[in-house]
Amino acid sequence: MRSTPRTERRRPTRWMTGAAALIAAALLLGWVIANFPRAPIGPRYVGAGHQTPRAGGTFIFAAGSNIHTLDPHFAYDTLSTAACRLLYDGLLDYDYDGNMIPGLAAELPKMSDGGRSFRFTLRNGIKFHNGREITAEDISWSLHRLLSERIGSPGYPFFKSIQGAPAYHRGEADRVEGIVVLDEKTIEFHLDEADQTFLNALAMPFSYPLAKEHVEKLEQAEGRDAVGRHPVGSGPFTFSRWERGVQVEFERFEEYWAPQARPDRMIFLENISSDVASARFRNGDLDVVYRPSKVTRLFLRASEAWAPYRAESPSASVFALGLNCELPPFDDVHVRRAVAFALDRSKLERLDPGQVIAATQILPPMLAPHDPELPTRQGFDLERAKEEMRLAGFPDGLIEPVTLWVRGEGEVRAAQLFQQDLKAIGIEIELKMVSFATYLKETGRPRVAQAAFTGWHQDFPDPSNFMDILFHSRSIHPENSENRSFYRNPKLDAILDRARPEIDREARLALYAQANAILADEAPWAFLYYPIDMFAWQPYVKGFRPHPVWLNEYRNVWLDLPRERVSQSIYEQETGP
Amino acid sequence: MIRFILLRAMWGVLVIMSVVTVVFFLIFVAGDPAVTVLGPQARAEQIADFKAKKGLDQPVPAQFLSYLGVMPCVRKDSPKYERDDGSRGFCGILQGDLGESYSHHESVAAVIGHRLPRTLLLASLAVLFELIIGLSAGVIAALRRNRWSDTLIMFATFVGISLPTYVTGPISLLLFAFLLGWFPFGGYGVDPLDHLYHALLPSLILAVAGAATYARVMRGELIETLRHDHVRTAKAKGMPMSRVVIKHAIRNALLPIVTLIGLSLPFLVGGAIITEKIFAWPGLGLLTIESIESLDAPVIMAVVLMFGVAVQMGNLLADIAVAALDPRIRLED
Repeated sequence: MRSTPRTERRRPTRWMTGAAALIAAALLLGWVIANFPRAPIGPRYVGAGHQTPRAGGTFIFAAGSNIHTLDPHFAYDTLSTAACRLLYDGLLDYDYDGNMIPGLAAELPKMSDGGRSFRFTLRNGIKFHNGREITAEDISWSLHRLLSERIGSPGYPFFKSIQGAPAYHRGEADRVEGIVVLDEKTIEFHLDEADQTFLNALAMPFSYPLAKEHVEKLEQAEGRDAVGRHPVGSGPFTFSRWERGVQVEFERFEEYWAPQARPDRMIFLENISSDVASARFRNGDLDVVYRPSKVTRLFLRASEAWAPYRAESPSASVFALGLNCELPPFDDVHVRRAVAFALDRSKLERLDPGQVIAATQILPPMLAPHDPELPTRQGFDLERAKEEMRLAGFPDGLIEPVTLWVRGEGEVRAAQLFQQDLKAIGIEIELKMVSFATYLKETGRPRVAQAAFTGWHQDFPDPSNFMDILFHSRSIHPENSENRSFYRNPKLDAILDRARPEIDREARLALYAQANAILADEAPWAFLYYPIDMFAWQPYVKGFRPHPVWLNEYRNVWLDLPRERVSQSIYEQETGP
Repeated sequence: MIRFILLRAMWGVLVIMSVVTVVFFLIFVAGDPAVTVLGPQARAEQIADFKAKKGLDQPVPAQFLSYLGVMPCVRKDSPKYERDDGSRGFCGILQGDLGESYSHHESVAAVIGHRLPRTLLLASLAVLFELIIGLSAGVIAALRRNRWSDTLIMFATFVGISLPTYVTGPISLLLFAFLLGWFPFGGYGVDPLDHLYHALLPSLILAVAGAATYARVMRGELIETLRHDHVRTAKAKGMPMSRVVIKHAIRNALLPIVTLIGLSLPFLVGGAIITEKIFAWPGLGLLTIESIESLDAPVIMAVVLMFGVAVQMGNLLADIAVAALDPRIRLED
């Protein structure tokens, strides 16, 4: 009984403590919210204001996955290529307009024998990182390594037009006949048949020369894969160290033949996802960001402060719906055309603003002979689509649905957009989502997939790299066809076979223009879009712009240091309330 | 005891063998490794070359037996393919050869060798945090049972168990790394101290669920133990409460925790897949994702093998440790 008054006396105190705690918590929360750090709205750092290129500093960039190798003879993915571009140099290279220019060669090769022979003269003063001067013998030795059966490089098919290369690759010959070293500085290549794309092959990282003595010593000591871990090349940067899966570090090569002010060091971070990379970039911890996360991309596009330091450039790729020309209903050119006219590509541009451009033909915009005014170009035109369906004998649409193979969520979303479009002309689409592995295996076999989401990225900037490989009847095989729409057209084959060896550039492009028109008209692919890549760099990073072939090209970058941290408030005043 | 361990080890090997067999054949059901590794740009010729080099043109059972090491090597690019006398060598797991990665241009042993220490660092830090945070929270909650601190801790553990790392990870990155700048924004760092600094946030996130579980188990066990006679006796003898708890109660309450740690070892390695992805931690988890995406068969097999061994070892160690701690338990078959 005595306890009752005690609790009654206590109750108001407890209640008051609770209230006080609540108020204190609310105040604390308010303070935290008021003082909470905010994401930077503009660049955190600006340059020192130097106008002329300066040497020095460390340049840091990142990629979302692993660098697989630093051995150029195996570099067949974008990251390995990007790393090899710093370490090595080839006979030929591309400028920022995508034109071929000499690299280690003193000038573009002299052609003879109707485009079947190429003679290269090397520059003076080109050196490997170990200090030895590069000779024609090194170029020859490196190509032999690339083509050998023992190495098994994926680069072989690009060089098999060299006389005797297939025999050497099979281990039936000791040397490749068609590679002839004339003297220390001169080398000649002889091909089985005239082929202009051989020069493009020579500009690929596969043909970058390695130092023989270094490779032989390493391979003996540590095995065949050792070259990729301790590379010695002739590029503007030397290899410093590689923490696998974390980062590769490079140092400036002082004896490079084209001296230029460059950063002292370069760090290439691996396995940094686009979200992490984007945030680090906005923090000022990364010097350049490539393909930022979607949120950051939209932010960068909208930001006034970042406007001078970003670029959006179309990548040399095309995406499309591949239509199987051997299977009904797409064995009928009218049905294929109907699909090509029925797709409203502007929906994609609205779904991913700044990410895509509607595609009208196989060749991406930067690659001649792309023609924006191509008479047979594909595009949205519902009336023509319906007309083509009438011509095909399906005025009321198809009876059976068509199966479209897609590889993952992103493509499902895009495909769903077009389901409605195709329904409008009476084609029902059923989506079949498969793993990437299954997709590759099954779509490469004839008469399996009726239609598939598909695409291509150039190996080298030449129209043949889109047309020969994807639509020539030679590219159809019982397994692993490159021609996944199984399109056969003797007329197109003939044009392509004439174009490849053609020496005269204008005549060659005219032939490819014909082929381009045929492909748009016959629609083995209903072209969807060309992707756009976004780059952004810090204000103190100079000399960078997206390269049409190499994309991540950091050879010409210099840093305007010391960088200076600026207050975010300057951007607020700029944009106003 | 020794009999028990041997028998368990035998069962373990059997289980691992069946897992390896199933996964090996599953890889070939999923797709064609050569096609997938070389990607959509590959030429038929490149694919054929690659298959010949790696022995992928052989029948799958032959490849499997060669992988086990009971049939001569089918991988032409292996240094063991041909012996000096011209006969075919063996290059399977029985010979301790895990093969060469399809995409990394390195032996699988080297690839794993780079990645394993990083995952172990993350996992051991996570276990450490789990124990420190989980056990102390559990003890506090048990001693202050039904008071506000207990309620708060139990609420926190409830939240901790419920929140998956793919929620807590990005939020913590946004808050502590991006906005506050206390921790590095993902990655691995360059020197040992830097690695540790980079590991703090991901290991804390990895530890959240485990710490919450341990706190709950510890609280329950401790409350139970504190009711036991020997504890009451100790208290009656006038022993200070702190010593009673530390000496008599906690030790008894630890038993189920030890079992839990043992069982969670493989989970920490496996559970790190998501955390490693979020924090760009280049360990085994990231490697697993990549190798599955690219059907890098030798790496997938090696990772499966390792996880299998980790699960078996974890279970066995837990059993042994419990037996060692608790004299009432005897290990028998």
